Amino acid sequence: MTSATRLLQATDESRFEIEALVAALSSQYTVVTGPKQLVRRARLDTFDRRLRAAGLTLEHQIVALGERLVMGRLDGSSTVVVPVKNMRWPALADVLPSGPVRDTIAPVTGIRALMVASEENRRIRRLALQNRAGKTVVRVEVDEPASAAAAPAQLKVRTLRGYAEQARRADRLVDSLGLPIVEPSESREPNSALMASRRDREHAARVHLAAALGDFLAAMRENLPGLLDDVDSEFLHDFRVAVRRTRATLKLGRPCLPEVMRRTWEPAFKLLGDMTTPVRDLDVYELDLPLMSGWLLSAHPADLEPLATHLRHRCAAERRMLVHRLRSVSFGRLITEWENELAQLVNTPDDADQQHLSTGQLADQTISRAYQRVVRDGAAVSDESPAEDLHTLRKRCKELRYALEVFAPVVAEGPRKRAVANLKGLQDVLGRFQDSEVQGHALRGFAEEMMAAGTTAGAMLAMGELIGHLDAEQDKARAEFDVAFACFERTTSGQPMHRPQDAR
Amino acid sequence: MKVLATYNIKGGVGKTSTAVNLAYLSAREGRRTLLWDLDPQAAATYVFRVRPRIKGGGHALVSRRRPIEAALKATDFDNLDLLPADFSYRNMDLELDDTKKRTRRLGQLLASVADDYDVVFLDCPPSISLVSENVMHAADSLLVPLIPATLSLRTFDQLVRFVEDSHGSHPEVVAFFSMADRRKRLHREVIDTIPRKGTRVANTVIPALSIIEQMAERRAPVPAFAPTSRAARCYEELWAEVCPT
Repeated sequence: MTSATRLLQATDESRFEIEALVAALSSQYTVVTGPKQLVRRARLDTFDRRLRAAGLTLEHQIVALGERLVMGRLDGSSTVVVPVKNMRWPALADVLPSGPVRDTIAPVTGIRALMVASEENRRIRRLALQNRAGKTVVRVEVDEPASAAAAPAQLKVRTLRGYAEQARRADRLVDSLGLPIVEPSESREPNSALMASRRDREHAARVHLAAALGDFLAAMRENLPGLLDDVDSEFLHDFRVAVRRTRATLKLGRPCLPEVMRRTWEPAFKLLGDMTTPVRDLDVYELDLPLMSGWLLSAHPADLEPLATHLRHRCAAERRMLVHRLRSVSFGRLITEWENELAQLVNTPDDADQQHLSTGQLADQTISRAYQRVVRDGAAVSDESPAEDLHTLRKRCKELRYALEVFAPVVAEGPRKRAVANLKGLQDVLGRFQDSEVQGHALRGFAEEMMAAGTTAGAMLAMGELIGHLDAEQDKARAEFDVAFACFERTTSGQPMHRPQDAR
Repeated sequence: MKVLATYNIKGGVGKTSTAVNLAYLSAREGRRTLLWDLDPQAAATYVFRVRPRIKGGGHALVSRRRPIEAALKATDFDNLDLLPADFSYRNMDLELDDTKKRTRRLGQLLASVADDYDVVFLDCPPSISLVSENVMHAADSLLVPLIPATLSLRTFDQLVRFVEDSHGSHPEVVAFFSMADRRKRLHREVIDTIPRKGTRVANTVIPALSIIEQMAERRAPVPAFAPTSRAARCYEELWAEVCPT
């Protein structure tokens, strides 16, 4: 197996002088030059770059003799090569052949699909540097672009396990060619000037909100193609998160945003969010089904197969409708007009503001108000409170969470993180309470639909068990509420969550 | 990590050929594979063109003075590494005898590379010894090549008893016929009549073919230098039967 790799770049960027390279290496090794192979190389990753974050690389290479997957580490250490056939992307990691590649990749990608992050055609020639026994002790790979837009030509000196000294020797020989070393590519840094302006508490709040709303619009746009193509369920999830954050930001920014936002855009994004809800709910049921089958005590997991089929059909139908709406002219117009609105918001002169608030002022005011609401509504919850009160409190918690996120650049990091951590415990309990109720209600609805379609008694009984489990889970969450709220109140009272300026 | 040992009390039955070819096939499928050449004759090491020498010898490995990782060598094939033989392995019984838990030391050594490999092959020397006892404990499967002859079957019976008598968990014993010549009446009879009760006998028969002998000359596994040969196909079939799932 190979370990560390050293990269060098060709001086003319498109090709190496192979004769000069072989001449330099031949002084100490027998150099066996392999044929030049045209390789179509697709770098794979999830949309949110989970492999990169985990320090992994995965390439699907197509050569004349077949296909292979090459898994490695970003630092060039350890490479695993697996022959494959007819792999198509995007696809979930469970299409990978069983073995080390799937075992390594699948836990990292989770429910996200692998897709082609970049693709290029290369001409690759492998040189084997052999010792006197004819054993390959170092591999050198000459990697040249086969098209103009591809990355420049590179030379890779691969260290083989147990032959590090030989690789160092080969490096010294290659050094004599005077080729520049390629530094590992760095991740894109955000625009530092822009980030600095967003951290400025004195900056106009309206501009800060416009920037945040612009980010959410960008997230919607980025996720839209994957959502339309149904690459994986997370595209819709992330799209909805961006919509939800947009709605929350519009609401939080009411004091300093123009009236048109409240009148036109808040309802527009509510409509967009609602439009995506049925598919997301059905996605969640499908994803949770394996977990739910673990709840069954007397029924068998196979009894839930009719439910799985029903969910698939319902989800496919809802998705078709959603995709139709998202491909419509009216949705395209909505996005374009929203972009124009945001541009106008940034370019509007200051005196057009409803209120002249700085980002710091709006942050303090909003976070404080959201916090007070959580405390007020939470304290009002008693044993007799209807479920609706807890649902409302959950919404208040979300507003506080969004406020902490939207104004993160102008709130001290430590207190903000502590505040979010404190809030999470309460949100978890409220989330379990509401999700159990909503899921139980939905399962009853599915049961009626399935009965009308003549489903099996086994499926009904199994779904009954699931509803029973959800009822118990809801009761459990309700019983945990008092402790969770008391904990939130205790850990946040006297903390700068409602006076974030004090923490700076 | 699954450990497969090619083992027989008799020598010259095809243990090394099996270990080399199956290890190559395992690696070709993308499994990170290690072949440990435990035989001081170092035939597998020779096939992979690696120098049959371990710094500090078998003593350094067994006594853990030198970590096993430091002795590993990449072969010329992707995903396949070799832990070479060393002539000092002839004394490995003595080295093992000096350790605590002397019948489990090889397994302990392999545990240190468990995260690096999916499959490990042990190419064992032909004997019943402390090394063999270690192999019994370390291996998940014993692949036993048998020449289809009466004496081979007698030796196989001894081996099965040896495995059954060893303490602790036993590896699965998978026998298969090797160096078989269908033109010989005795070979045909033995292959057709071997008692299969209680012992797993692979369906694949590895024939006596000169191309397998050429491995030492070509210094490569058969499927690497003759991928479409009958021998390569036989090893592929055998691997399909015995590969860990």
